[in-house]
Amino acid sequence: MKNRPIKKFIFALSLVAFLSGIFAAGVSASSSKKGKDGELGTLHASMGITCAQCHENVKKPAAVPMLKCVGCHGPTEKLAAKTAHVKPRNPHENRHYGTEADCNLCHHQHKKSVNFCLPCHQRFDFVVP
Amino acid sequence: MSKDNSQDEKGMDQYTEDVLERGISRRSFLSRTALGAAGVGLLGLGSVTAKNAEAADSSKEFAKSSDGGATLNFMPKPKPIAAKDIKTTLTFDVIVVGAGASGVPAALSAAENGAKVAVIQKHPMPVSQGNTGSGIVLATSDKAGIEALVAKLMNDNNHRCNPALLRQWAYNSGEAVSWVIDRAKKGGSPVVDQGSAPQRGIRTVNGYTVNYVTSFFGPKPYTTGDGMRALAKTAEKAGVQFFFNMPAQQLVHGKAGEVIGVIAKGRDGKYTKFLARKGVILATGDYQNNEAMCNYFIPDLKHFGRKQMDRTGDGFALAYWAGGVIEPIGHTKMLHDFDAGPASMCDMPFLSVNRKGKRFVNETVDMSLYNNYLRDAENAGHYSQVFDSNYMTQAATWPGKLVPPEGLKNYMPDDPAPKHGVFDSLVNTHVADTLEELARKLECDPATFVASVKRYNELCASRKDDDFGKPADRLIPVEKAPFYGIHRRMRISTLCSGMLVNENHQALNADGKPIKGLFVIGNLGGGFYGGVDYPLTVFGLSLGRCYTFGYMAGRHVAKL
Ligand SMILES: Cc1cc2nc3c(=O)[nH]c(=O)nc-3n(C[C@H](O)[C@H](O)[C@H](O)COP(=O)(O)OP(=O)(O)OC[C@H]3O[C@@H](n4cnc5c(N)ncnc54)[C@H](O)[C@@H]3O)c2cc1C
Ligand code: HEC
Ligand code: HEC
Ligand code: HEC
Ligand code: HEC
Repeated sequence: MKNRPIKKFIFALSLVAFLSGIFAAGVSASSSKKGKDGELGTLHASMGITCAQCHENVKKPAAVPMLKCVGCHGPTEKLAAKTAHVKPRNPHENRHYGTEADCNLCHHQHKKSVNFCLPCHQRFDFVVP
Repeated sequence: MSKDNSQDEKGMDQYTEDVLERGISRRSFLSRTALGAAGVGLLGLGSVTAKNAEAADSSKEFAKSSDGGATLNFMPKPKPIAAKDIKTTLTFDVIVVGAGASGVPAALSAAENGAKVAVIQKHPMPVSQGNTGSGIVLATSDKAGIEALVAKLMNDNNHRCNPALLRQWAYNSGEAVSWVIDRAKKGGSPVVDQGSAPQRGIRTVNGYTVNYVTSFFGPKPYTTGDGMRALAKTAEKAGVQFFFNMPAQQLVHGKAGEVIGVIAKGRDGKYTKFLARKGVILATGDYQNNEAMCNYFIPDLKHFGRKQMDRTGDGFALAYWAGGVIEPIGHTKMLHDFDAGPASMCDMPFLSVNRKGKRFVNETVDMSLYNNYLRDAENAGHYSQVFDSNYMTQAATWPGKLVPPEGLKNYMPDDPAPKHGVFDSLVNTHVADTLEELARKLECDPATFVASVKRYNELCASRKDDDFGKPADRLIPVEKAPFYGIHRRMRISTLCSGMLVNENHQALNADGKPIKGLFVIGNLGGGFYGGVDYPLTVFGLSLGRCYTFGYMAGRHVAKL
């Protein structure tokens, strides 16, 4: 169970290299990682990630457990370390959930992502990809 | 009140009898529908009977209001979980659901009394909040003082509580809170006992002495959440097993309807069945994040922000479908903001203006009740306390404790110095050289704000508050720059009404009979409050009660 998504991730990574090679000329370097309409689902799709890699049942897609995300993006502690510098606060580590806040609280695939913290902490104004 | 007045032939206290009559339970609805259908049947109105039968049918899917008239779709009946979907079955003596301020103490207490204990927790770790939790030191308190305090709390609760539960807190909290302090320290917590110091107003009650043990998990940003994580370490050493990221989904029942376990869902979507030889203790906290449930039980909450997350009232649904009774509508709420500025200044009657900048209240009202004036969508709990640079001298004699200008900087988001002892994301105090600038920082309409201050200064000069009747010695003008403002935002800290329980914290069914195997503690437990708002008479009553009932229920269930 643990190994499978990692393999996919490696596959995805090689795709990243491949795709960015193709698009480097057309897309400005700074925005190359972002999906065209800013939606994460578009970005994932452009990385060659299929519906089935998130949705167990593609015919009847349901909410995706965060284990799927963690399967590709790695342990939450490592992710938190990556964004430790983000101001004003690390979005991936907080007192309410430690490093394990459900990704889907903030990141959405098929609609605009939201900043889950903002309604309660009005100065935590980071932008969620 | 004589015993004869308060007890009926069943020997039941008034509070319990009342909740049985008006509370929300499966039976209260079913029996009434049955009666209704029978009545209609007598008149021979076949079609209406059919309609009623239909209504009765829908009660199998959703909870019903106490008169059976409204469908409570926020409490759907749990769908059966097939045996094939259950990955693992584990057996313990005691299962605690929820690792917060009542659940963690309950688990440790049960383990210390010899039980094999599991805690099922929705969050990735124990989670709770707040700093202060208190109890009464019996050895150094007058019994008359304890009774006087109980009477005072009943008054605070608008006499809608179960006095037996208040007394249970009063006579056991000293032991329980001291125990929490000791065991949390063993888990590495810097918790301290502040004794009676924080309980300024109630060290004597009706002339009698009362002394307190006040546990303080702090200073901020350290909280009781960190404290419960430390206590959980002690509990793990005592053999308690924690299962995180595992929200309880439904209870498991024996043949006679008794509760014998819980089914919880893991992150992988698979279920685990936890069987309990002795009992299940529900400690899932309040329901502030269940919007429909809030709108039903406390419609006043509609426009207020929340302070917690994932408190969707899961325990209410679990207990209701096991036959439990929810306290009738008119639940108690707790809203405050001790973070925007100094807590010790929150009840000081400086000029207060609403979100737009208009004076709206006689400021001698306690901060914990301000929410009642700010329920509308526009204000949504926002107001500001306003004073000028003479405050240290002019308000010197007021109750509370003034923080000097240098100390106020610690609460100012615009001040670059590092903060200490506060949540720096929640501080919201401002200073400005002009009223207009202050208004902007407080997010008020400058014209409205300036007009309010002008009017207030006129009232101060006349020494008569023609607008709200505040006493003359509480009228100090806002004249001398720099001007200060504390922008407070009343949000829901917690809701503290719940399920009907007896003195063993065992859930009662609609007949007033204990439900075998089912116990309820913390804010999910009913009978302790009952007023419009949580009383701030005893500082830390809420956490003190959670610790105490967790400590007692854990011991009781372990010994069954
Ligand atoms: C900011 C703030 C400050 C406060 N300050 C104070 C204070 O200083 N003094 C005071 O006395 N009170 C204070 N309070 C109130 C106090 O925190 C609460 O009354 C108290 O925490 C309630 O304890 P509890 O055990 O009922 O619930 P909680 O402590 O909220 O714990 C409930 C637990 O149950 C878990 N849970 C929920 N659903 C499920 C499920 N389906 N399965 C498994 N687990 C579940 C949750 O993850 C949670 O950890 C404060 C509240 C807030 C928000
Ligand atoms: C990176 C993971 C990911 C990929 C890839 C993905 N989805 Fe989703 N999808 C989600 C998540 C997460 C949700 C839940 C809503 C949200 O948070 O955005 C969701 C929700 C949905 C829903 C709504 C289901 C419901 O009940 O909420 C549909 C329909 C759907 N996805 C279809 C698709 C299709 C079709 C594809 C392939 C083109 C796809 N998804 C690819 C993650 C993904
Ligand atoms: C099959 C592997 C896979 C799965 C499953 C997956 N991702 Fe990704 N994700 C990627 C790859 C590849 C990228 C692009 C490289 C990168 O930025 O890490 C990416 C990028 C991202 C980014 C970065 C966007 C940016 O602008 O930098 C976010 C955020 C993200 N994913 C969130 C999620 C969430 C949330 C889920 C679960 C719903 C999820 N991912 C599931 C592979 C995956
Ligand atoms: C509180 C909201 C929130 C949650 C919950 C959250 N994220 Fe993020 N995430 C963010 C924000 C904000 C950023 C952008 C940080 C920045 O500015 O660099 C981000 C960035 C990322 C990135 C890009 C990181 C990089 O390389 O810079 C990935 C990948 C990602 N998130 C994945 C996840 C996954 C997987 C989860 C669940 C385990 C998760 N996020 C949970 C808010 C969140
Ligand atoms: C429902 C409201 C709510 C949400 C949503 C929320 N918080 Fe909080 N947060 C609070 C409250 C209330 C406190 C202070 C009391 C406590 O610890 O519970 C707090 C405290 C904190 C603190 C410590 C205080 C400080 O200023 O250092 C941090 C850090 C924090 N939250 C981060 C986050 C992050 C990151 C998110 C988004 C993932 C988030 N919070 C979402 C209500 C919330």
